[in-house]
Amino acid sequence: MLSSWTFYISTLVIYFGVDLLSGISLNLQYSYAGVINFGYIVFQAAGAYAAAVMTLGPSGGASSFQQYVFGANLPFPLPLLVATAVGAALSALVGLFSLRRIRRDYQAALLLIVSLIAIEIVQADVPLFNGSNGLTGVPRPLAAVLPLSPQGYQWAYAAWVLFLCALVYLLVRWLSRSPWGRALRAMRDQEDAASAVGLNVTALRLQVFVIGGAIAGLSGGLLVQFIGAWSPDAWGYAETFVIFTAIFIGGVGNYRGVVLGVLLVPIIFIQLPQFLPQIGYPGLTDSLEWVIIGLLWMLCLLLRPRGLLPERRSIALPDLSSRSA
Amino acid sequence: MTGPEVATGSQAADARARVPALSARDVVVSYGGVTAVDGLSLDAFAGEALGLIGPNGAGKSSFLAALGGQARIRRGSITLAGEDVSRLAAYARARRGVVRTFQMTSEFSGMTTFENLVTAGHGAAGASLASVVAHPRRSRQRDRAVARRAWEVLERFEQADIANAYGRELSGGQRRLVEIMRCLMRSPKVLLLDEPTVGVAPRVVDKLIADLKSIRDDGIALVIVEHALDVVSELCDRVLVMALGRSIATGKYAEVVRDKEVQAAYLG
Repeated sequence: MLSSWTFYISTLVIYFGVDLLSGISLNLQYSYAGVINFGYIVFQAAGAYAAAVMTLGPSGGASSFQQYVFGANLPFPLPLLVATAVGAALSALVGLFSLRRIRRDYQAALLLIVSLIAIEIVQADVPLFNGSNGLTGVPRPLAAVLPLSPQGYQWAYAAWVLFLCALVYLLVRWLSRSPWGRALRAMRDQEDAASAVGLNVTALRLQVFVIGGAIAGLSGGLLVQFIGAWSPDAWGYAETFVIFTAIFIGGVGNYRGVVLGVLLVPIIFIQLPQFLPQIGYPGLTDSLEWVIIGLLWMLCLLLRPRGLLPERRSIALPDLSSRSA
Repeated sequence: MTGPEVATGSQAADARARVPALSARDVVVSYGGVTAVDGLSLDAFAGEALGLIGPNGAGKSSFLAALGGQARIRRGSITLAGEDVSRLAAYARARRGVVRTFQMTSEFSGMTTFENLVTAGHGAAGASLASVVAHPRRSRQRDRAVARRAWEVLERFEQADIANAYGRELSGGQRRLVEIMRCLMRSPKVLLLDEPTVGVAPRVVDKLIADLKSIRDDGIALVIVEHALDVVSELCDRVLVMALGRSIATGKYAEVVRDKEVQAAYLG
């Protein structure tokens, strides 16, 4: 009993970490730069597939039970680095054509469509990443060399995920508070005025998109190395909206708010119910999750439109220092 | 505060002898099939306030957008201190010294007044990702210098008390001032103002005019689109009257308002 509980909690910690990375990435893109990335999950998926094929070894081809491209057997932590790079590179590619000077809501729609197209391609093109069946048997990093019990490994992995989360959190928060982060907020608030004071908004948008994509790729890599499998079921476009809901509820433009939102939404409302006893017909709990997400979003917009922990005002004092209140 | 003296006619004459800060030649702007600006030319000199006036739909704002780089020009050329900037994007022109305010106030509403100013003060170089990441110390030093300058500008316009107010919390007049102060943070050579007194309380307009005069006397070329003719007569050294995308008169305000064609354009 005790061991199943620690197994369960360590699993939740890992999911929390992965979702927190997504929250940080989307918070940077949406709350700071005003880029509505409804295709976020694609970049996480790209990282997951990249990390998977970089650890599965050479593909056995069409005769094997699963087929994929670029099979390799890279040592830890290279697959994660590849996942991060692939997330960034795919973001650069998508960003180059989707982030032109078109209205923000059109950009959002375009990115949502990218998300739908990507999943169709992966499902249809089986030799790419084994189609709808997805990839399985992704080995856990260093599982063979670390002298740990399965439980110990779980906790070690959770610590590793949290460590990376902390690094990314501090890095992104530092960037957000830098003059570059201010330039992003200016672009978010008034794009024409931002370019009229000398900011190249196209470049800023692309930068923030690529940084977010790199974090997405990293989160995908961490997730696939933990669960060991990855298929189109794992990255439906709706997953993006779970993270958006977390940001809205936690607080737009506040990284502590993101932590809170990620704790509340994906973990408490999505993961915990999975472990509750079955109610109603099979699948009812799953459907209710989406109802809950929609309700949460609506309630939040009605009651606390800026979230539980809103963006904090930066207070400047004439003694030349500027600090956050 | 600098430059309390008001530019005289002879100063304006001196200005005209120099190379114009901003020059437009035969500029054409069209949207679809509609020609908003139809072959307009203009020279704006440092230390001079040039008014662009004309009835609604004359193409004044489109012309200003062409100068600032917000609207693409179909024909003609725009030069800044001799350099052709016709094909440059708005941000690139801003980096060379052409900044502007907008008809609809364009403060960064989710940022404080201070942040509005500092963002503009950094401009491109200081705010680039490369400079922030590669030279964090230099970036911090620059940030402090820009902050100092922001306080100077806030005090010059007696707005230090709204330094920490969000843009969205300000009144119409304060928003205009934030825009203008933000422009000054760029140390511009040319300042384009689109209806700077719209939405500003009457008692603040006089102060705004005085502020704009002092900016002009700092040696900045002002190009002002304005409907309030009393403001134009008070502020502008020279005016260019537009109608249907063309220039119909140019000269001192008092002279052009007596022009028959100008009166016809206004009265229809």
